[in-house]
Amino acid sequence: MSWPAAPERVDARRGDEPPSRKLAAGAKWAWRLHLAGAWIAVAVLGFAIGPIRDLGGGIVLWAVLLLLFAVAVFVPELRYRRWRWDVRPDVIDIQHGTFTVRRTLVPLERVQHVDTKRDVLEQLLDLSTVVVHTAAGSHTIPYLSDYDAIQLRDRIASLARDA
Amino acid sequence: MPERRLHRAGIAIYAAQALGQAVFPLAIILGLSLVGGRGDDLLRPIIYGLIGIAGATIAGFVRWSTTTYAVDDRAIRHHTGLIRQADTDVPLTRVEALDVQQGPLQRLLRVYSVHVQTGGGGKGGEIELPALSAGAVLELRERLGAPAPAVGEQARLRLRFRSLLVAALTAGQLGVLVPVLAVGAQIAQQAFEEGEGRRAVRALPDTMGEWLLAGSVLLGAAWALSVVGAGVAFAGFTVTRDGDRLRIRRGLLSRREATIPVARVRAVRVVEGVLRRPFGLATLQMEVTGYAEEAAVARTLFPLLRTRRVRSVLERLLPELADEPGGLAPPPPRAWRRYLLVPSLGALIVGAVLAVWLASAWPLAVFVFGAVYGQARWQAAGWRLSEGRLAIRSLRLARITVLAPSSNRESHELAQSLLQRRARLADLRVDFGKKTHAHIRHLDAAEATAAFDALAA
Repeated sequence: MSWPAAPERVDARRGDEPPSRKLAAGAKWAWRLHLAGAWIAVAVLGFAIGPIRDLGGGIVLWAVLLLLFAVAVFVPELRYRRWRWDVRPDVIDIQHGTFTVRRTLVPLERVQHVDTKRDVLEQLLDLSTVVVHTAAGSHTIPYLSDYDAIQLRDRIASLARDA
Repeated sequence: MPERRLHRAGIAIYAAQALGQAVFPLAIILGLSLVGGRGDDLLRPIIYGLIGIAGATIAGFVRWSTTTYAVDDRAIRHHTGLIRQADTDVPLTRVEALDVQQGPLQRLLRVYSVHVQTGGGGKGGEIELPALSAGAVLELRERLGAPAPAVGEQARLRLRFRSLLVAALTAGQLGVLVPVLAVGAQIAQQAFEEGEGRRAVRALPDTMGEWLLAGSVLLGAAWALSVVGAGVAFAGFTVTRDGDRLRIRRGLLSRREATIPVARVRAVRVVEGVLRRPFGLATLQMEVTGYAEEAAVARTLFPLLRTRRVRSVLERLLPELADEPGGLAPPPPRAWRRYLLVPSLGALIVGAVLAVWLASAWPLAVFVFGAVYGQARWQAAGWRLSEGRLAIRSLRLARITVLAPSSNRESHELAQSLLQRRARLADLRVDFGKKTHAHIRHLDAAEATAAFDALAA
């Protein structure tokens, strides 16, 4: 990830245009693993309590499995395509969501501090999440490559200092 | 200024603090020895109690004798503690306010507790001086360049006794649950009477009745507590606008005085509680940066006023944020069914689960509550963005109107689901602080986008 050296290129970008930067490609797999983890937990629970065991090897079970598989393939793909972000000299611009698309603007003068964090899954996939804190709460840009995340964190911190 | 000690009353106050910290283990020891001694040996708990008090007094004396403060032309310095020493230096330029408070013990001993506030936020002050005489407070104020407010010209608003009474009585949001529960009980009763008369079901109303009784007793107690709590917290509530500061004084048992720099007030909330709205009454709350952890009363600008007076009161106390809470634009008519749909569906699902469980069609009627709630939310929803001032009104239980200059926002968000996209609707959300998130659903997409861009500018 390289930051545009000439500020006029950044200024030329209009505020009403959606942001352009994407997450690391590994984000898709991180979401898939998250989904799979949740389903395995549900499946184990369902099997223990009964409803899944009762389905047996019937067509319903296979239909559900197929549906889940399709969701695991397509939802993270869609989510990845929709996830856009950018940092302009005055504002952090985030747009994301599969069913509901959310566009969030955080003025840099309001940024109190910036963190990067890596959970176990992210460490496996060599990804990092950047968390931006304001007085009203926090905003995350998840699943960037480790290097990019650190660069982004430092850039936001320095821009916030100057803002 | 040479190094000063606190007033000698500080010994008693530090002792009381030490005792307060030890009160729980002490109570256990006392209780155990009472139970163990079967009441025939009263001497031992008394001795333990005396030892505790003596220990606390020694601790109080040590703390008092090691606590000093001093002000030079650069900073205010504070030193405290013998074993665990703490030194705090606050540069004078960072001192935002001196908050003067009086707890019950301080009032008894005629001293004041002073908190030196900085912009850092968090609970309490950076430096706490729990026992200063009136003269020492005055001296400190002068040294810090924060003289006591001149009485007279500033705008001042005081909560009268009758208003306090009304404020206390209408404080609880819980009160509204009583009629709801009563209606629910009625419906449940009918459902059971018209049921199949299975033995298991017939056994239920008794337990249900007891359950409801226990519930209403709990609710009543909670309401009484909230009445007493509000009465104690808001007694003598006085708010004064003094230059670029707001001074708020309140409290019956412990008198508190807080100073809030106006620059730190990000937004005002007009909160019309369920019990207050029918009478046209509301509370004014503030979003103050760094105050999120404080109790709700600490963020109150004024506990009770007529909703139609909101603007004139704000113009006197906080003209920077003054705006009219009424006259807001509703979402477009095509949003109406969306406001109704979600709560109705939610209630219907709950009703369906109950209906299957109780083998009766009656619980499906809760659908009506969902629809009524949705209608209430629809009627409450309104917004306005003009001349850089934003007003957004919404309802959860209380109807809340957020008033703020749009440049005070911490972040803002435009959201649109696939269904909203087809209907050209969108949600707008503007965050002003940890407790103030102005959110309005189903606006006309073009208007919402224009507002989003205006907020970004």
